[in-house]
Amino acid sequence: MNLLKRISGPFILVFLIIVARYLFPNKMTFIVEIITFSIYIMGNDILYGYMGMVSFGQPFYLGVGAYAAALYLAHIGHDPLIAVGLALIAGVLVAIILGPAYIRLRGDYFALINAATCAIGLFLVEKPLLKITRGDDGLWFRSRMASELFFDLRQPAQFFWFAVIILTIVLLLYRWLDRSVLGASFRGIKVNEGKMKFLGYNTFMIRWIGYTLSCILAALAGSMYAINFGFVNPSITEPARAAEVLVATLLGGAGTVYGAFFGTVAFLGIKDLVSAFFTRWEFAVGIITILVCFFFSKGVWGFLSELFKKKGKDLSMGRPS
Amino acid sequence: MDKKENQKILSVKDLSVSYHKLRVLFDASIEVDTGEVVVVVGRNGAGKTTLFRTISGFLKKDGGSILFKGEDIGGLWAYEVALRGLKYIQQDKHVFADLTVKENLELSSYATKDYKWDGVLDHFPQLKTLMDRKGGNLSGGEKQMLLVAMALLGKPTLVLMDEPTEGLAPHVINEMKDSIKRIRSETTLMIIEQNLPLTAEVADRVYAMKEGKIVAEIRDKEEIRELKFEKFL
Repeated sequence: MNLLKRISGPFILVFLIIVARYLFPNKMTFIVEIITFSIYIMGNDILYGYMGMVSFGQPFYLGVGAYAAALYLAHIGHDPLIAVGLALIAGVLVAIILGPAYIRLRGDYFALINAATCAIGLFLVEKPLLKITRGDDGLWFRSRMASELFFDLRQPAQFFWFAVIILTIVLLLYRWLDRSVLGASFRGIKVNEGKMKFLGYNTFMIRWIGYTLSCILAALAGSMYAINFGFVNPSITEPARAAEVLVATLLGGAGTVYGAFFGTVAFLGIKDLVSAFFTRWEFAVGIITILVCFFFSKGVWGFLSELFKKKGKDLSMGRPS
Repeated sequence: MDKKENQKILSVKDLSVSYHKLRVLFDASIEVDTGEVVVVVGRNGAGKTTLFRTISGFLKKDGGSILFKGEDIGGLWAYEVALRGLKYIQQDKHVFADLTVKENLELSSYATKDYKWDGVLDHFPQLKTLMDRKGGNLSGGEKQMLLVAMALLGKPTLVLMDEPTEGLAPHVINEMKDSIKRIRSETTLMIIEQNLPLTAEVADRVYAMKEGKIVAEIRDKEEIRELKFEKFL
């Protein structure tokens, strides 16, 4: 019963996504984008929400996954699942190589070194790696992708179900992480790293694990983007897009299991809605972000949780208060 | 090795520490025997906290040695020192404010793999009634008790306490004094304390510090009770 309660949250969320897909069939692409982007935001939430490490370079990690998958599908093989596997490996490799140096930095320095990495990543795919990335023209590979045994990921309707399965797995793992010793350690580091050392925690290793998980989730989301569109170009690693990740994390409620998802819905929803009326949708996002910072610091999820708690309804989805 | 050497739990020799180029600790040497309560006294800026932070691995030394249970811990990270059984309770009295008392204790249990709280809670029975209260909502004395309880999980062999009674109300200081007397049966204690009457009551040995140097060591109980170390401050 307890286990059922613990895993009910992710399943309720996924059920709502499936309902939305059938209620709004012409919005399926948008719903898939929400799924992919929310996985990306979860990666950032581990860094920012749980560990208090702001990164201005998340598009780089998204790009690592996207280009790992795209390069394989455009030049080497045809199997999208192998492409996802390679993207995950690329995410881990980046975390192993860059992590030990980057996570020694704190605050502004960590944020800025990631921004610098993102700029370098953009330069690499545009110039030195032009021959294999085809620069600004991008890589097109949809026609090279093969069908899987049970899935044909070239079909948007079937990619939707693939994305739903991936999101379910990620949400369940994220839910587990939130209540695990590791999740508690992440929060402990955010609040008082010195106290964690006093208790005997290897805080360097914990931060490295958090950074690695963040890289893996960003790379996974990147590979899903690549496979869904059958195309990747350097704009995916644009440093200017780093703000989107932080805004969505903030909107949803940093450091919570479901905040990343609701932040994504809020961010992409505003973007979708406002851009139908006028082109500078960023203006509306900016205003709403300011309002959230001042009046709803716990974000959409935190606001909803408190609202329902006041009305006597439990929105914790199994998470003890 | 004689009997005294066997009893020695901590031996610090000629320890020197700098903040960048500014030397703040000069050839400090101290010894702590098993079961003792050692109190370090001195005015603000004398180097007491620097001494504790260096022993516990939070600061790197320039020179000298730190032997804990015969092992040189001078180059270890703070978490490695803690896992070897040397815990340092900082002066700030910060617990994890968003976590409950229970969750704070759990966080300590995870690190030490010690999930038996009964012994620890017997020392601080008040904590039993505060299990669901957030750390941030505890009083100064309750926070201090929680910190000591967290430190005692894992059965450390030496606990360093940095001004445990600072800022506490007189009746809470008395409770803390009683707690120190109870805890000493389980672990060795090294305490920084400005409260001289309390020092006189609990200390087996007193080190006086001034301007980054150990200026006196008093082991005679009578002299400690008569606050003879006061003249060195």
